[in-house]
Amino acid sequence: MNKEKIHYLKDLAYYSSIGFQVSLSIVIGLGIGVWLDKKFSTTPWFTLIFLILGIAAGFRNIGLAIKKSRKL
Amino acid sequence: MEHPYLFFVKLFEAIGLGHWAHSNPHVLYSWVVIILLIILFYIPAKALSMIPTKGQNVSEILISGLEEFMVTITGEEGRWLLPVAATVFIYVLTCNLLGLIPGFFPPSANLNTTLSCALTVFVFTHVIGIKYHGAKYIKHFLGPVWWMIPIILPIEIIGHFARVLSLSFRLFGNMMGHELVLGILFFLAGAFFVPLPIMALGILVCVIQAFVFFMLSVMYFTGAMEHAH
Repeated sequence: MNKEKIHYLKDLAYYSSIGFQVSLSIVIGLGIGVWLDKKFSTTPWFTLIFLILGIAAGFRNIGLAIKKSRKL
Repeated sequence: MEHPYLFFVKLFEAIGLGHWAHSNPHVLYSWVVIILLIILFYIPAKALSMIPTKGQNVSEILISGLEEFMVTITGEEGRWLLPVAATVFIYVLTCNLLGLIPGFFPPSANLNTTLSCALTVFVFTHVIGIKYHGAKYIKHFLGPVWWMIPIILPIEIIGHFARVLSLSFRLFGNMMGHELVLGILFFLAGAFFVPLPIMALGILVCVIQAFVFFMLSVMYFTGAMEHAH
């Protein structure tokens, strides 16, 4: 295999993993928030804060991918 | 879903450990994979010779191909990562391919096995980061400006846990889905050889998933070796 093909495969693996990472970041943020709310019984607040953080983390992955694809 | 017939579970039933084997077939079949790998790779590696035998030729091609592939992604400084990355690749590939033999259960169709592989990669990523950058490795988590630390730090931590989950869930989901489709088709129309094309596709799925696992872990290692953005 030549080098160009290997870089092509690498990009394929990277970009196909972004969808998973976005959705799982949101789920992890939501999970942490719900768990903290159950522990301290402060119902909506931690859930909202960590849900927003999770969404931000997910979209930061997309932002990094855009940055990376522009550099090439 | 309980498999109709698992060879090694029946073997354990015969020596009186059937209850344990029925609840943990993935552990049992991981042992099978380990024994298989020892027979195929470890014992021949003890008796290396300058003029390679048939088995040595195959494993040399596999290992040198993986090394060449990995060095193209990481650059020359990442050559020492080969043992970890190639071990993960060969183990996951053997785990996946084991499911194609009737009477065998692929250990990677259980979340515990894939999560253990992903956690190994996760821990080793941070070991590499601390080895290359020392205490400055924390800059990877802090972002460019100091007043954004309270926002960036939890975001980065969530992102790193999402890596573990995405690595383990992808492999588990693909292998479990393959097993389930085979089981359902076999139950519905097994007499007409309907599962056969799905089994042929299964070879492709096994190789691709092992390859994606290998490639993503190598890319995470590379990310830990780079300087903070």
